[in-house]
Amino acid sequence: MIDGNMVIDFHGHVGRFEIFLAFDDPDTMVRAMDLAGIDKSCLFNIFHPDGTLGNDLTASFVARHPDRLIGFAYVSPTMPGRMVPELERAFDELGFAAIKLYPPYTPYNADHPVWDPVYGFADERGLAIIVHTGADEEPRFLGAAAPRFPGAVFIAAHAGNSEPYRTQCVEAAQRSPNFYVETCSTWRTPGAIEGLVEKIGADRVLYGSDTALMDPRAQIGKIITADIGDEDKRLILGANARRLLRL
Amino acid sequence: MIPPLEEVYSVVMASLSFRARVPTFDANVGVGHLHDQPAPFETPDQLLEEMQRHGVERALIYHRHGESISAFEGNRLLTRWAAEKGPFTYQWVASPDRESMKQLGELHRDGRVSSVRLHNIQPNYAPFSDWIYGELMEWLQAERIPTWISLAETPAAELIEMLRLFPDLVTVFVGAHYVHAMLVRPLLRNQRHSYLELSRYEVLGELEALKEEFGAGRLIYGSYYPRFAMGPMLYYAHHMGLSQAELAAVCCGNLEKVLGGEG
Repeated sequence: MIDGNMVIDFHGHVGRFEIFLAFDDPDTMVRAMDLAGIDKSCLFNIFHPDGTLGNDLTASFVARHPDRLIGFAYVSPTMPGRMVPELERAFDELGFAAIKLYPPYTPYNADHPVWDPVYGFADERGLAIIVHTGADEEPRFLGAAAPRFPGAVFIAAHAGNSEPYRTQCVEAAQRSPNFYVETCSTWRTPGAIEGLVEKIGADRVLYGSDTALMDPRAQIGKIITADIGDEDKRLILGANARRLLRL
Repeated sequence: MIPPLEEVYSVVMASLSFRARVPTFDANVGVGHLHDQPAPFETPDQLLEEMQRHGVERALIYHRHGESISAFEGNRLLTRWAAEKGPFTYQWVASPDRESMKQLGELHRDGRVSSVRLHNIQPNYAPFSDWIYGELMEWLQAERIPTWISLAETPAAELIEMLRLFPDLVTVFVGAHYVHAMLVRPLLRNQRHSYLELSRYEVLGELEALKEEFGAGRLIYGSYYPRFAMGPMLYYAHHMGLSQAELAAVCCGNLEKVLGGEG
């Protein structure tokens, strides 16, 4: 809790990435959450294209701190026949709350029809989908997909990271009311958060950290120290995520 | 040993606003416009306003033109930008070309050099090799001039080979990113008089782990403003579970020691 407001980190990873010393130790993660005032963190595993193995690892991880951690489902169109059945399992059996997609681990940009079964699943159920964006996956592709599935919420992870991709996010959000952005990035450009709030609106900006690659404390500091109003901070840090996740 | 949470709970985030709660001296602030990236401020007062918003009292400043285009010209521009007094301490940019080394030597003779930063290495044109940088590095080590080196701009293999030749150089590594995670510990371990500037280094729990291994005395707060926002890493430093004395050292005291020749 920060100032009486629930804080939700919308972007975190399950899975080790030793080359970056990023270890998904649940106790380290929860301690950092405690020190930053974060109530809940959303986690996913993007390293296994079948979806099943990674989602099971996520479920086990979340089970260590079920009151603090929330699982998101991951699937990949490199194994297209597995996508919808795995999503059904992840939501109906594992109790996951949203979907994470990572186009750079596939040959397909986010507007390719191969993703449509995933988007259709989210559209029918009114789910949020957080999708990696940046130089390696330009947000304009996700922006092209969003209007075709108005029942789903499309969230550009990293808000494009840097320019000109951040501006692509703004343009997509201005076109589509179901297009949101999430803020984690080591590109902590001065004025970036302020610009997103001004051009998209704080009600469509979500705080995320990318833990364990990035510590949630530095990333939440980006929101807390931004030159925006307290009500904007409340929305970004938790209220928007609560709405999308129906918490 | 990482202290239990209840011992550090007084610093747990509880407010939507933040300002430094110890004297703070930012170790990494660039002034002036870059050729391809205008700065968000043009005057000392505008920079001071941003510093004051975060509770930063002082800043070590260099000119960004010097870092990326011309060390010589950047250093000249720095002296025009603001007086070296009050909240600002000058940091000169070092380049191995003759004119720049002569300029730096004269500044040093005048007692005006408390630190330098290497200009951005251009590996495609001039590798960070002792054939090119050896004389400069020799001089910096002999004069015990603290030297800021950007990990973001220096090829890791060349950096390691160079530092093997200059193990007593007082070094501050800046701009470490998670891609440098495997490199940071060996650098701090092998370079005896070295420090890590924090601006971009935020792998989960790593700063606490580095503090455990090397002590808070090897960590220095810097923002790399305006490349990065000034507040986030300062905020992080305040939520690492540091004691008040450790926090004061990270935010100010360690940098003062390095600049004062105690590095």
